Parts: sequence; C-alpha cells; structure tokens
Amino acid sequence: MIIFLQATVEGLSLAAIYSLVAIGFVLIYKAMEVLSFAQPALAVVGAGIISSLAIDRGIPFWLALFLGVILTGILGLLIERTFLRPMVGEPVFSVAVLTIGIDILLRTVLDSWIGINPKYMGDPFPSYGNFGAVKLGGVNIKYLELAALVTAILLIILLTIFFRKSKYGIAMRATSYDQEAAMAQGINVGRIFGLVWMIAGILAAFAGFFITGGFNTLSQFSFISALRALPAVVIGGLDSIPGAVVGSIIIGLTQGYVAYYQLSFESLIGFSFGNGFSVVAPYLIMFVILIFKPDGLFGTEEVERV
Amino acid sequence: MRGRPNLYIDYQKESSIFSNNTQKSWFGLLVILSVAFCFLASDYWILLLTTSFLIAIAGWGLNIVSGLAGQINLAHGVFIGVGTYASAVIGGISTSSVVGFDLDMIFWLPLAGVAAAIVGLLIAPITVKLKGLNLALVTLALVFIGSHLFSNFKSVTGGAGLGRKVATLKLFGVNLEKGIEIGTFYLQKNQILYLFCLLTCVLAGLGFKNLVRSRAGRAYSAIRDGDIAAEALGINLFRYKASAFALSSFYGGISGALFFTVSGGVEPGTFSLLYSITFVAIVVIGGAGTVLGPLFGALFYTLFPALIQLLLHTFEIGEQSLPLNLGQLERLLFGLFIILFLIFEPRGLWGIWFRLRNYFKAWPFSY
Repeated sequence: MIIFLQATVEGLSLAAIYSLVAIGFVLIYKAMEVLSFAQPALAVVGAGIISSLAIDRGIPFWLALFLGVILTGILGLLIERTFLRPMVGEPVFSVAVLTIGIDILLRTVLDSWIGINPKYMGDPFPSYGNFGAVKLGGVNIKYLELAALVTAILLIILLTIFFRKSKYGIAMRATSYDQEAAMAQGINVGRIFGLVWMIAGILAAFAGFFITGGFNTLSQFSFISALRALPAVVIGGLDSIPGAVVGSIIIGLTQGYVAYYQLSFESLIGFSFGNGFSVVAPYLIMFVILIFKPDGLFGTEEVERV
Repeated sequence: MRGRPNLYIDYQKESSIFSNNTQKSWFGLLVILSVAFCFLASDYWILLLTTSFLIAIAGWGLNIVSGLAGQINLAHGVFIGVGTYASAVIGGISTSSVVGFDLDMIFWLPLAGVAAAIVGLLIAPITVKLKGLNLALVTLALVFIGSHLFSNFKSVTGGAGLGRKVATLKLFGVNLEKGIEIGTFYLQKNQILYLFCLLTCVLAGLGFKNLVRSRAGRAYSAIRDGDIAAEALGINLFRYKASAFALSSFYGGISGALFFTVSGGVEPGTFSLLYSITFVAIVVIGGAGTVLGPLFGALFYTLFPALIQLLLHTFEIGEQSLPLNLGQLERLLFGLFIILFLIFEPRGLWGIWFRLRNYFKAWPFSY
C-alpha cells in the first residue's frame, strides 16, 4: 500500500509537470493550429536560464526563478515573431518541421552551454538539502514534488481566471474559435499569437524547472522528459485544455506505477519489458488510445469534406 | 520534333523517365563522372560521397511516404534501424553476445529491405487510420518504442552503449574486405563500396522516378492532395497508404544495411529522435516530393560539414576559438537551414535549382 501511495504521489507530481508543458502545446494548437515541437526545448532552456542565473551568477533563487520564467516567455514571443509569423497559412507539416528546426537550434545552444557536467538549479531552502522531503505515513514526498503539484494547480487556476475574465483571455478564446471573426471584432490576432507563445514559454519554463530541480539536474537529455507531455496532449485531444490535464495525469500515473511495479510484474509473468520501460509506456498508451479514438479523449472530432 | 524539346506528341513520351536526349546524356555523363571520381579522388572524398549516396536512398524512401503520399513520418530512422539489424543478423558473424548467420550479401541486402518493409506493413493498421499531426505524433511514439526495443534486444543489437558489428562484405562468396583484383586491375574496399553504393543509388533514384509516373505514384499524389477525394476516385486508401509506408521502409532498410556496413558497426543509440528528424530535414532541405530533392539534400547534408571544416582550415580558425564544437556548429547551422528553407524556399534546394535552370534557359533574356 505504501508503495502504491508512493507511486501515486510521484506519478501525480510528474502529471503536474507534464500538464504545464501540455497546456502550452494545446494553447498554441488552439490559437494557430500549429503543433510546436519546440516546447520541450523551451522548457530546458528555461531551466538553463534559471540555473545560469542562480548558480553561475549567484542571483538569489527566487529572483532567478522569476527572471528565468519571464525570459523564457519572452523567448517564446520572439520565436513566434521571427520564425512562426512568416509561416502563417502554410501547411501544418511545414510549420511542424519548422518548430523541429527551432528545437534543434535551441537545444544545440543549450547543449554547448551545459557541456558534460549536469547543472544544478539552485535551492530556495539550502538548509533542507536539495529541496528536502517530508514523510507522511511512510510515504516519502519530496518538497520539489509538492511544489510542482501546487504550482501546476495554481497556474491552471490562474489561467482559467485569465481566460474567463480578462480582456486578452477572452480575445484568445475568440481567436481560437474563429480567427477571421475575431479580427473583424478588432482583435489583434498577431498579438494574440505572440501572447500565446509567451504563456506557453512561461509554462514550459516552470515545467523545465521542476523537471531538472533538485537531484534531477539539467543534462543534455532533460528535454526527453518534457517531450513526454506530447503523448499526454494526444491522449487528451490536441485542442482541449482539460484533456491535456487528464492526459497528463494518465501519463504521469502510468509512469509512476510502471516504475514501481514493473519488476514484480515481470517476475510474475516471466517476461522482461527491458530497462527504462516506464519511459516508453506513455507512448504505448498513446498508441493504443489513438487506434480507438484518433482525436483523443476530449478532442473535437474533425469533420472532413472533400 | 528537333529543337522543340518540350513538345510531346504522345503520353508515353511525356511520362518517360528521361523525356529527351539532353536529359539522357546529362544523366549518362553524370554517372560516368561519378564512376571516374572513385579512381581520382582521395579516400576521404570517396567515403563522403558513398555516405551521401546511401543517405539519398533513405531520403528517397522518406520522400515516397512524406513527399509523394503526404503522410508525415518522423520514424524513418526506426525503419532504417530495422533494416540495419536485419542485415546484421543475416550477414553478421555470430559472437558470444549477438546472433548472426554470416550469409552472403546477395541475401542480406534484399532481406534488410524486406524486413523493414514488413515492419512498415505491420504498423499500417495504425498509420493508415491517422493523418496529419496525429500521424506525426504516432510516428514520434514509434521512435521511442523503436529505440527502447533496439536497446533491449541485446542478442540482436548488442545492447545500448555496446553495439555490434554489422554484416560482412562478401558478394557471391568473394570477400570484398581486402579489395579485389581483376587481372592487373586492383580495386580497394572503399572503391568497391563506392561503386556498389553508386549503383544502388542510381537504381533507387530511377526506381523512384519510375514510381512517380506509375499507377501507384499517381495514387500517392492523389492521396496527398486530398485523401477523401482520392477515395472517391476509387483509390484504395488502405492499400496505397500501407504500400507507401512499406516501400519507404524498404528504401530505408537497404540504405541502413549498407550505411552501417560502410561505417563498420552500429549502436542502438544511433537511432534516436534526432536521427529520424535528420531525414525529414534532408527531404525538406532538398525539396519534398521531387525526384532530385533527396539527392540534393543528402549531398548537402554530407558535404556541408566538410565545407565547414574546409572553411575553418583555410581561414585557420582553431576549433578551440569557437564557442561551439564542430558537431554542435553543424547541428546549429542544420537547424537554421531547416527554418530558412521552410520560410524562404519551401521547395528546397530543388526549387533553387529549378529557378536557376529556368533563368539560364532564356539567358541573357529575362524571358
């Protein structure tokens, strides 16, 4: 039971991280019908900025976190302005490949900065020693995991309020509903695109921090964790924010349970799924779900005409 | 009809592989020059061109499914990997850790393609159902599942970080490793490989060109331009989408088997996401859907690192003085080129070539 709870807690914290990246994906997709493969790169770049500010420059942690998140948001905005803007109206495939190009660009620069030694993120409470942990009835909960959960929930609430109440949030919803009609109402659609990328960048930076925080550290392979938000998005449906969250929970829990139960299950059936199966399991789930529901669990079904 | 090369009086003539004698003679000249190249150039350049021929084959493969049939495939590297390992098992030497049957090249080369094609067919029920971005995502998942399998089937692949030796080079019982002597004429291993890969590349290119003009090729284009409309025209979507994947994988498998035979060994980590994306980029940079595009893309991909090295050498810039190391610099510029080509020349290098050719057609007049 303790193992089960432990796996659940870890899975949920992973789910929180994935949902941050996943919401970024969905926001961009809803606004521009673009699948941005650059999102994982933005996440690790955000982590890189935080680390370079907090560790290399010695800026206080909270300020570094704040600056890193904002700078990543601005980076997202810049990417939209420079690379995505000329591609408006091009086929989705071209734009998707373009974001892969952006991903290669960002990660190459980051990789050369990371080098061989993994980077630490800094620690808001050095006395706990790498974010510390709390024991609740035998379950070991890292503060980092708790922080990820709380941050994700807070951000999702904030975003919901933003979309419901604020002028720009409503403008964004209008844009995603019908671009031309939104333009006719005087909404600056270009600015909305930029804003969407900025929010996606901010969310990605938070996710990047939680992926690489504590003992996880930022290495050249950290982006693969952020990329696992993609199956989450697909499971939930590309154009559904609640779907993204549900998908993230499915993916996170799967990963958590597989990590803890794989060995005992394998010895039960006498067949090995191999090392690191927990990392592949999300993709397998996505595979299965796509066979039965090509538009995801919550996605709008596409009606096609000749 | 002399002097009017663009006037076709029958359909057969228009859809022939070489529509006029000029094309035919240029092609012949290019092949002769390429053959002569291996007797004149140094080993370095021979090896470079050999790899670009093989990458071009894989590029054509991806071009069948992505360029012609319009189905996004981010998992081309996995199919290449399947072909590679099939060839390694069939043609490789068995050791204590890996299996191998040590068969002749005449077996392992086609079977590598067939094995990859079978995998392409096996996933067809999923890939046929999806399209657009969902297909891209599924193929992305395939990359991760593929590399997981590759690194865990230790008896076939040698395991992550270790790898294995690939198929041995022997054709009709003749071991090509040490070169062959024909009378007084001596061919080195590199030259043999170069010529063999050139031959395969030419065949693959002609095959692709032939596919474009065939019934299947036309069906692929129809599916790309509108699959519902294509279905309404009586094109069996399942059959053609699946066969596009199978053919593409066949090309990939052949290319992979030869590629890693040239380089000598293969490690499962090679078939990463970046590896698969490289081929997408090659097709995009070369020109998606065109016959010459993948060849241009492959030449660009292999020659451009050499060009950077040459530039650094001539300007005597030390590698240490750069903020990035050479591999990273290549990757950075590669990413940049993907972006720039997509924004400024979506038809890729082929588009540049096309404009250049048309410009000089009427030169010095503007039209």
